[in-house]
Amino acid sequence: MVAGALVGTGAAAAHANYVKSNPAADARLVRAPSEVRISFSEPPEPRSSEIQVLDATGKARIDKGDTSASEEPNGLRVSLKAVGDGGYVVAWAATSSVDGHQTRGSFAFAVGSADLPNVLDVGDPAPPPRPLEDAGRTLSFAGIALLIGGSVFGLFVRRAPTRAQDSREQVLLATGGVFLVLGSLALLLNLGGGSPPRLTAFLTARGLAGVAILAVAAALSEARLRQAALVAGLVAAFTATLVSHAAASGEVVQVAIDLVHAIAASTWSGGVAALLMVVLPFGRSFDSRDLGGLVGRFSALAVGAIAVLALTGVVQALERLVLLEDLWETPYGIAIFAKVLLLGAALVLAAFNLLRWGPHLRRAVEPEAAMRGLRRGARGEVVAIVGIFLATGLLTAFVPPAQTSGAAYDQTRHAGGLRLELLAASTTPGQNRFVLRVHDRLVPVTDAQKVAFRFTLIEHDMGENELVAQQRAPGEYVATGNVTSMFGTWRIQTIVRVPERPDITTTFTVPIGAAAAGPGAVARVVSAPPYTLVVYVDPPQPVAGAPVTLNVVLVDAKGDPVPNKTLTAALTGPSSQMVTLREISVGRYDGAIAALEAGKWTAAISVGSEAKGDYAFDVAR
Amino acid sequence: MTRIFAALAALTVIVSSQLVTTQTASAHERRTVGPYQFVVGFLNEPAFAGSLNGVDLTVTDTRTSPPKNVEGVEKTLTVEVFAGGLSTSFKPPLTARFGQPGKYAAYFEPTRPGSYRFTFKGKVESQDVSETFESGPGRFNDAEDPALVQYPAKVPEAAALADKLDAIDRDLGSLRAIALAALALAIVLPLGLGVMRRRA
Repeated sequence: MVAGALVGTGAAAAHANYVKSNPAADARLVRAPSEVRISFSEPPEPRSSEIQVLDATGKARIDKGDTSASEEPNGLRVSLKAVGDGGYVVAWAATSSVDGHQTRGSFAFAVGSADLPNVLDVGDPAPPPRPLEDAGRTLSFAGIALLIGGSVFGLFVRRAPTRAQDSREQVLLATGGVFLVLGSLALLLNLGGGSPPRLTAFLTARGLAGVAILAVAAALSEARLRQAALVAGLVAAFTATLVSHAAASGEVVQVAIDLVHAIAASTWSGGVAALLMVVLPFGRSFDSRDLGGLVGRFSALAVGAIAVLALTGVVQALERLVLLEDLWETPYGIAIFAKVLLLGAALVLAAFNLLRWGPHLRRAVEPEAAMRGLRRGARGEVVAIVGIFLATGLLTAFVPPAQTSGAAYDQTRHAGGLRLELLAASTTPGQNRFVLRVHDRLVPVTDAQKVAFRFTLIEHDMGENELVAQQRAPGEYVATGNVTSMFGTWRIQTIVRVPERPDITTTFTVPIGAAAAGPGAVARVVSAPPYTLVVYVDPPQPVAGAPVTLNVVLVDAKGDPVPNKTLTAALTGPSSQMVTLREISVGRYDGAIAALEAGKWTAAISVGSEAKGDYAFDVAR
Repeated sequence: MTRIFAALAALTVIVSSQLVTTQTASAHERRTVGPYQFVVGFLNEPAFAGSLNGVDLTVTDTRTSPPKNVEGVEKTLTVEVFAGGLSTSFKPPLTARFGQPGKYAAYFEPTRPGSYRFTFKGKVESQDVSETFESGPGRFNDAEDPALVQYPAKVPEAAALADKLDAIDRDLGSLRAIALAALALAIVLPLGLGVMRRRA
């Protein structure tokens, strides 16, 4: 059932994030494309998603306004009008069909020799939840808790119920149904007309579970009502899980953990509500020892539920947080932190009830005072639980720090008080695009005077190379280059210079792997005894009439780069030409080719008169 | 014959010393400024944070062959040293190096590892100069962390110690405030309770 419900979500993150596009971000094209395609980390809802393509000024639209799903997984496309050379900006907004969360972003590309325009400031890439959404989620979770916790309390904790207590329980469970209906309605209203069908279906199912309980609350016997409420609560919890971050991950285990978490939380919190609403108002009618026994039974259930809650919560947090600092530096982490603090407060109150008032009641020591204390403690617990529901409502709407980026390498470090996330588009030798996202707590750092990457190959001496990055979006610094030209482990030192502070540096280790350079990869290992050549072209997909650079790393039998050699390449294909390569750093050589015709080409690379090897590549029209 | 060998040996020493000098200069940045060539780097390379070092400048006039060493630059040129994004600079005096015409030094101690910028302003003869040289790959070396070469014990650099002392000072300030608050509470609370009891 879980697996079935997950069909269509694919392997994805919690929001529909940009993974790749055609044209790629910052691409330089020879001719204008006829369409723009973007792939996301999870399926976007085409009806409420849009791609706009604008000219360099960001004012005139050059797209035809026909955003639709593309045939690629999780893809959108838009057709373009016929345009000439120039810089163009793509602004996109996507609504996840899994959870309805919105994301937006912007990138640029250039046609011909035009400059790359600045990307548009499209605001928060993942807008925070609106109050209506948060209210909807909080009400839904409260409804699920009242149904599951209230019914479990009635079925397993409360013994020898009275008529008055049953009546109260009926009201409690009906309130759970009302909360479910209101919560689902609020979430549907928040999504509006563009609500993804899958999400609409699950929200409707959740609302109907609430309607069903309201419909049968007065008609069924107490025992039947409890069973019906438990089933309705479990169905509602399942629908909540299926539109959660866990479902967006596409992993059945994560969905199962989320469901168990929701059931454990509901058992405890709904049980506390039942204790306060159904039992304690009639405390004087209880024998003190019976009430003490009831408190003991509920405490045992609550301890088990809280243990499961904490365990599944920690597993989920580890899955979605990247750094410890995320707990206080990201909205998602702050919501978790708040939840943990409130849970701690609730646990202190619960422990007081369990260890002090419970024994007092069981031993009939000052039963009146114990009853008052128990009531106060339960009220405090309910207040903490309401806070937990509010935090959970935000938690399920905020973007978790661990996100699918589409980058081949994506790691985050914390240095000098800054959060630094390095993304490398590829882990194969050749041209690569490096992005450093710089945040100071929650705020993108936009005033960096310099952001640079320094590259050193660990296994062999290829010298140190530097790329200076440009800010392409708020707090996002991008550099493109051919520096990771060789298979091996590269040490990338990032340098961030912000006003009035010493440089902030940190180091990432990026494997540029042979395994990754399989079929389809541009870099090829060419045998030219006694040497080995690592050869690739830049750009990775050369286009007819556009400049191409032939890159060669020359290594000896031990794998060490070989400097001070004369390299030439005889190109044969639709025509022929000779290219002389120059050494640009230790063992790295490149040769500029002004333009090539479309077709298949072979570069016969000579190392002086010592060695020769062939490298084949295609040039597109 | 012995004289010929002696002369050859002397020549070998001179050539070797020239090679050594050239190698050292390879970690310096060369830049043409008008008709002059500036060669800039750290005085002692590799440079380590926490060790006395300096700005090394060589100025030659490229209009002559071989290029002529330019003297007197210390009177007309100033150098400012910047670290990271700090806007406050350090201005060590530029001095001519004894017995080495065309070579200048401005002594300072880099206290943090990392990138440094040297900004030269003023004149070289009649040429206006405003040039910034920044350490980094292909230019001249950064100041290194001395821990890389320390043995057997690693001695923390002064700047790191200063940061730690600042942090301890801040923590002590907080502790002092908490202690004062606790003291005030310890005085006020019994008094308040006493007053309340008396009223009761």
